[in-house]
Amino acid sequence: MRNLLAFLLRYQGIMLFVLLEVVSFYFFLTNSSYQRAAFFNSANAYMGVLLERRTQVADYFRLAELNKQLVADNAQLRYRLYPTDFSRREADSLPVGRDTLGRIVFRHLRPATPVGPTGQPLPTQNAKLITQKARPDTLLLGGTRQVARPLVAARVINNSLREVDNYLTLNVGSADGVQPDRGVISAGGVVGKVQAVSQHYARVTSLLHSKLQIAAQLKRDGTICSVRWPEGLDFAHALVDQVQRQTRVVRGDTIVTSGYNAVFPPGVFIGTVESVTTEPNKDFLTVKLRLGVDFSRLTYVYVVPAPPSIERDSLEQHTSELPASVKAAQAQAAKGGKQP
Amino acid sequence: MSISLTIGRQLLRFLLYVGVYVLLLDNGSVVLFNLGWNFFYLGFLLFLPISTPVALQLLLGFVLGFSIDIAHDTGGLHAAAAVLVAYLRPWVLRLLTPRDGYDTQDTVNVHQMGWQWFLVYLGLLVTLHHLAFFFLELGSLQHPLLTLSRVGVSVLYTSVVMLIVQLLFFPVRRGRG
Repeated sequence: MRNLLAFLLRYQGIMLFVLLEVVSFYFFLTNSSYQRAAFFNSANAYMGVLLERRTQVADYFRLAELNKQLVADNAQLRYRLYPTDFSRREADSLPVGRDTLGRIVFRHLRPATPVGPTGQPLPTQNAKLITQKARPDTLLLGGTRQVARPLVAARVINNSLREVDNYLTLNVGSADGVQPDRGVISAGGVVGKVQAVSQHYARVTSLLHSKLQIAAQLKRDGTICSVRWPEGLDFAHALVDQVQRQTRVVRGDTIVTSGYNAVFPPGVFIGTVESVTTEPNKDFLTVKLRLGVDFSRLTYVYVVPAPPSIERDSLEQHTSELPASVKAAQAQAAKGGKQP
Repeated sequence: MSISLTIGRQLLRFLLYVGVYVLLLDNGSVVLFNLGWNFFYLGFLLFLPISTPVALQLLLGFVLGFSIDIAHDTGGLHAAAAVLVAYLRPWVLRLLTPRDGYDTQDTVNVHQMGWQWFLVYLGLLVTLHHLAFFFLELGSLQHPLLTLSRVGVSVLYTSVVMLIVQLLFFPVRRGRG
């Protein structure tokens, strides 16, 4: 027994060192896993309060800048409220060809006498407006119900830019209706995804995180792709993945979210294409993206509320579970593609 | 009495270093050229009394690193690097022992121990810490040049800040003629 004690005392330094390193590594390696308890991060109650106080003090020194951002945000929204005179109009008939006498044949897109909701024909002045509203837009069925719920406005109280994996802390939490895995957007575009929440704070995986991929599409023709931020890139750029070689992508193309995985509503701006390179031995184009959000001056953001289609996501996750052997083969292929 | 005084003093130092680092030296605002990071909080560990027991140093290093980790959401990255520094510090101190050993009232102080001693001590520990930190952070050896340049610039940056702290806040001369 005494020998054991002597041994422990003799090597206490190295043993404690190894123990503490193992604990640190455990916390470091499990840091980006989603199941992690929400306590040991900046969203816990004590650190959250501390960081929020810091932000409150620091905000006094940049009130002008904050106001300017909010005004710009408002201006954009007001612009949407008052669309231009032509934006809602469409032709009620289109010229489709000529008949044998050379007269132009029109094809009418709407019935000549529109009917109101009650079934009677309407006076022509009101007819157009009402039919437009009554007509269901099948393309928007997935998104329309989300609009009914308001976005949750939040203030960024902690932000990192230059680490390998970056996180934000927001001053809203489960008490405000924020849940893990919800998208976070700002006036400029996509910001990230909620990772963990406490009662009043939330930790967000920033778009500048090596493990976050965002389902996206080319706005011009709807080609789907995904956006990610590899380590070593600066905070104003990201890469677009999975764009086939034959796809036509040009500088200035807009990339928006596709809404396929219910985290973000469809059509949220992500960025514009800055450069496109074709590499000889790759199936995919290397597309560099200039992000719409300036992460260095992020202040107010909005958390997308839980959509009704969470059921859909869980269903898809269940059915997309691949057998382990297939997954391994895929990983091998991905590695093989990277090496040469 | 003197023990509780020492504990209170060290607690105050801990709060000052961590507080200044978390609240003022916000990680976004003090990065030089996207290459130089400042690890101001290391000052707490580096300037502990020379006779601090190893086990205590290791525990303090862990607590220090972990509080920074919680603020910056880095898991256990800062803690791992800080524990490494705490473990290596006695070795470096032993390596740099003056000819007649350390006096009881010796502290890590540029005025007491001399410039040469202090610069070697600071440079060695800060370099080891930054090497461990930046390569761990990346988790791979993929961008060696970028990481090494980060280590280099950050070592200079942190060392200069530590030197400024020494020159401003540490007593000029006590004992040792």
